[in-house]
Amino acid sequence: MKKDSIAYVVCFTFAACALFVLPLALANEATRPRVDANRRFAAESAVLRAFGIAYENPEDAARRYAALVRELPDGGWSATVDGAAYRALRKTGAGLWGSITLIVAADDGAERLRGVEILEQQETPGLGGRIEEAWFKDQFRGERIGPAGISINQEGSGSGDADRENSRVDAVTGASRTSDFVEAIVNAAIADLRSGGAR
Amino acid sequence: MKSNYGKILKDGIWSNNPIFVQVLGICSTLAVTNNVKNTLIMAAGVTFATGLGSLTLSAIKDLIPRKVRMIIQVLVLSFYVILVDIVLRAYLPAVSKQLGPYVGLIITNCILMGRAEAFAAANPPIASLVDGVANGLGYGIVLTAIAVIREFLGFGSIFGMRIAGAWFTPWTIMIMAPSAFFLVALALWGAKSYTARAEARRKAAGAVRSR
Repeated sequence: MKKDSIAYVVCFTFAACALFVLPLALANEATRPRVDANRRFAAESAVLRAFGIAYENPEDAARRYAALVRELPDGGWSATVDGAAYRALRKTGAGLWGSITLIVAADDGAERLRGVEILEQQETPGLGGRIEEAWFKDQFRGERIGPAGISINQEGSGSGDADRENSRVDAVTGASRTSDFVEAIVNAAIADLRSGGAR
Repeated sequence: MKSNYGKILKDGIWSNNPIFVQVLGICSTLAVTNNVKNTLIMAAGVTFATGLGSLTLSAIKDLIPRKVRMIIQVLVLSFYVILVDIVLRAYLPAVSKQLGPYVGLIITNCILMGRAEAFAAANPPIASLVDGVANGLGYGIVLTAIAVIREFLGFGSIFGMRIAGAWFTPWTIMIMAPSAFFLVALALWGAKSYTARAEARRKAAGAVRSR
């Protein structure tokens, strides 16, 4: 068969595609359980952190999630930690570059936040991306929820608001827009929790 | 033949460096160099894909019909890139999440197609492998140098470890894409003026000798 004949070109292209795609399909299939486990760990550990449940490693996280957290029909979660009941739900809202998805946990009466965890964000690394840092997320832990929800303080110290009663957290310095977006998503989640979400 | 491989290596890493001589692969330079760890993983991915891609394409070059040459090049290169993506997703999920779409976009990195067309299409397999790896290394070295500067000035850290003291105010601009433009331009300028000067010196020495 001549190399430039149509038959050769078609046969060669099909054969080459089959030859190179087959190993990829096998590799994808072989690593699928691992990828699924990674994804499950990412999702479950975020819920555990929002509820303030400590875990040591992925196996431990899976065990605690199965034992303590109940998945609710509306997509939310409930958990009983140290004898108190908590509820949590996932809330997505606009961010600066893409959407931000949070898990917001509060006590049963939605009077105090239990914790806020970031599930997904595409904010600027080093600026808005700092909402993933522990000092920022820890500000929400145990914060009293005011009549208007939680407010973000743009004139704060930028290193964390330790007062748990003022319904206020510090914004990330240099990321006022991202901080505003997080405030809006947290408050939308609080509104959902108040109106009986995650039950 | 051995000295030939040495020359191919030197070409890829220095005299024909993909970043500051060929000016290829700049998009990923802007995207992934604000953090040294991600840069190294990206560079390793590019080196792997361009090395093995060139090797494979060179090995089958006599079988490839001219009409579908580029289709086959893209097929082979994306095969290796997707392999990297699958491995990262399974074994380094945190890195995979941070690099996001950029691993898949290695396929569109001009260095890969450039080496396949410019070298692997006309050279034996082992030389093509060396050429691909050399270009990957040349790319990786420049990117790592830029990433070290950007991460240090932008976060005050290297490899995520804080190096600068508490007095240090991070330069926000260094984390954002524009700073990579400045630094790539500076690297280009430095390398070009160095090679121009070396060239002039060599010419001057030659002129003296011939007189």
